[in-house]
Amino acid sequence: MKRPEIHPISLPRVPHYEVTKAANGTPLYTLHNSTQGVVRVSFVFRAGTSYQTVPFSASTVVNTLSEGTQNLSGEQIAEGLDFVGSYYDANIDRDWSVVTFCSLGKFIDPTLDIAEEVILRPRFPEREIASYCAKRKEQLHIQRSKPEQLSRELFGKSLFGENHPYGITSSEEAYDDITPELLREFYQAHYNAANAFAVISGDFGPEVEERVKAILAALPEGEEASREIPPLESVPFAKESLEGAVQSSVKIGIPLFSRSHPDFIPLQVLATAMGGYFGSRLMQNLREEHGYTYGAYAAMINLDQSGYFVMSAEVAAEHTDEAIAEFFNELERIASEPIGEEELEIVRKIIVGDVMRIFDGPFGAADVTIENIQNGERNDYTEHFMERVRTITPAELLAVAERHLQKNRCTVTIIGA
Amino acid sequence: MINYKEHLLSNGLRVLANEDECSAMAAVNLLYQVGSRDESSERTGFAHLFEHLMFRGTKSVPDFDGPVQEVCGENNAFTTADYTNFYITTPKDNFETALWLEADRMMGLDITPEKLSLEKSVVIEEFNQRFLNRPYGEQWHTLRSMVYTRHPYRWPVIGITPDHIRDASLEDVKDFYERFYNPSNAILSVSAALPAERIFEAAERYFGSLPAGRANTLSQESIIEPSITSPRRHTIESNVPADQITIAFLMEPRGERGYYLCDLLTDLLAGGESARIYQHLVRQRQIFSAANAYITGESGQGMLILTGQITPGTSVEEAEEALYGELELLVKEPVGDYELRKVQNKFEANITFGELNVMNKAMNLGYYSMLGDMSLLNGEIELYRSITAEEIADYIRRNLNRNQSATLIYRSKR
Repeated sequence: MKRPEIHPISLPRVPHYEVTKAANGTPLYTLHNSTQGVVRVSFVFRAGTSYQTVPFSASTVVNTLSEGTQNLSGEQIAEGLDFVGSYYDANIDRDWSVVTFCSLGKFIDPTLDIAEEVILRPRFPEREIASYCAKRKEQLHIQRSKPEQLSRELFGKSLFGENHPYGITSSEEAYDDITPELLREFYQAHYNAANAFAVISGDFGPEVEERVKAILAALPEGEEASREIPPLESVPFAKESLEGAVQSSVKIGIPLFSRSHPDFIPLQVLATAMGGYFGSRLMQNLREEHGYTYGAYAAMINLDQSGYFVMSAEVAAEHTDEAIAEFFNELERIASEPIGEEELEIVRKIIVGDVMRIFDGPFGAADVTIENIQNGERNDYTEHFMERVRTITPAELLAVAERHLQKNRCTVTIIGA
Repeated sequence: MINYKEHLLSNGLRVLANEDECSAMAAVNLLYQVGSRDESSERTGFAHLFEHLMFRGTKSVPDFDGPVQEVCGENNAFTTADYTNFYITTPKDNFETALWLEADRMMGLDITPEKLSLEKSVVIEEFNQRFLNRPYGEQWHTLRSMVYTRHPYRWPVIGITPDHIRDASLEDVKDFYERFYNPSNAILSVSAALPAERIFEAAERYFGSLPAGRANTLSQESIIEPSITSPRRHTIESNVPADQITIAFLMEPRGERGYYLCDLLTDLLAGGESARIYQHLVRQRQIFSAANAYITGESGQGMLILTGQITPGTSVEEAEEALYGELELLVKEPVGDYELRKVQNKFEANITFGELNVMNKAMNLGYYSMLGDMSLLNGEIELYRSITAEEIADYIRRNLNRNQSATLIYRSKR
């Protein structure tokens, strides 16, 4: 059968938001998509783990906002959301926390009743906090018997430094020191107008916008949060053995910079070529040619005050050394030979396809908006990003790779055999 | 609610089309009615290994991924006990590339000894990563072998042992391909902002000339797993981080009323933060640090699972009592209207949230067509709404007691 003709692919249209401000200045971004009868409201706070001075306090705050408020018990909150089938999610990374409510359009009112309590009036009740901490302590203990968790932690502290806010890990016992007072303090410092914004997306009318704006307007003013980001203390190599491991979890990273750096997008393109899709270099080499692994990946990671290039795979224990050698072969190749025009064209299409898939469905645009706002950009950043990817040349990429992807700047971590 | 139109090709390929309203993407889903339950007990894991081989190229398209990437597409696949599912998303104007690729590999797969050998090592690493190199990794192997004595659900999709994968021969590959990868054993479903007629016309063009192939007589479907009549128990002492208990009960096939009762029942127990097990046993009594109840969801006789990781200081016996206590409570005090409405609302919301992109819609179409009753696609919510508290109590009384259970316990040596 003859291959079908390829129709030209137009770059996806990036949805643009409207922005308004609550009375206290807190911005609200709205994205309308009226086809599906669902609404999502996300509240975003500059309250990630790198702002905490006491281990686990930032994550405990965001995870226990719903454990009891002035007017509702934790049970009533869970009950109220479940009854209308609304979806609640509290999420944290190193820089930000995001609290999301998602509901059928017809149930947005009762959902926002609860959102208002959770965002504005959490109580951090003693008994619930103690129960939460005991549970998380035990779950962390369980997580830490898994290679992927150990690998993430070892990599973080090896790349940034053991006490660096982006790399630090704490013992499970640190949960014993969490108190409601501590949580209230962190909440007051970070869950305020100076550190917040919200995004509504989906199918909603002006009354929903007004309600969310009223919630934002009730946030106290506060001061913009800041923290000291010390210099990195990377180590070139770290390994921890895991009894009986049949695989090694390998990560190789280079500490770099955040998205605002002009080389960030070229590095995203390089990371995609290296390990961002099935046909990528690492996947072809480690999986398809050698069968060392089920999957090998690379990515350029953005943080507020930093960023890094990372490659990773879970490899057969007996081939750990060969696999690491192949990671470095590929790193050397991408930093010494220009990427072929044909391969680059595929990488471009992978990236454009990824963006198109994000925008399929009513909520992808909200995720993109949140990320852009967090980085101090607007949604035209995403257009700029695609344009940059479309026009970047092999020579530019090689120059960036030569500058940054050097073997002697790598941190290698291994969990396993 | 997913609208659809259906069209049957003369070679037996079923085609379903959902006309999406707005997406820039098209999703093309191809479901083959073959899964791990169709394997011989000497060659387990084969259906999944074969799924991997489907990406190894044909004579006319040696590199499957290349043409997908050229149209900004993305593709992947998964294997279950009941079926194997391949999917591709592309910008909608290029959906024919996906049809062309799927039609091509339905007949022209070109597997050499080298390709087979390489794919075996990839799959063995997948086996290691997901089942051996992690705590509790062998639990599904053990539990399935306890619950099932005859039915091929007694092994997990990945297979009983990496040795079965190592032993697979080129001969096995050819047989399997001929037997199961035919238009008459496949279902093509497409969701895109395109007229259904356009999708059917293209399906005719790419798939219409393929020979129907041997009809798949699913011999395994007739295997009925006998009920469990006395408690089955197994304890593993190992280096796991916490004690864990998992209780499994045998269920009725999907489509039977008992299936929906079990699904709803597990939602009462564990469908969300407000559900009983979480509120009573995790939050209030702190018997478990994490606990869950769910059904495994096979189209045949699957399992209803109650499971939890036990907090230090709580005995396994106490934890087991507590789980049965929740079942008994539903018998003693049948669930009220409010709580029933809650889980029914949740089903409705989950169905809506599950239909937000073209990929999920295409996948659902294929899946329900495989079940053989398209009225379930948009009609299951009514089934859930018709369930009563007495029915649930009655089901528990008759089916969910110790004599009908298989229990797997992990004791931590920490």
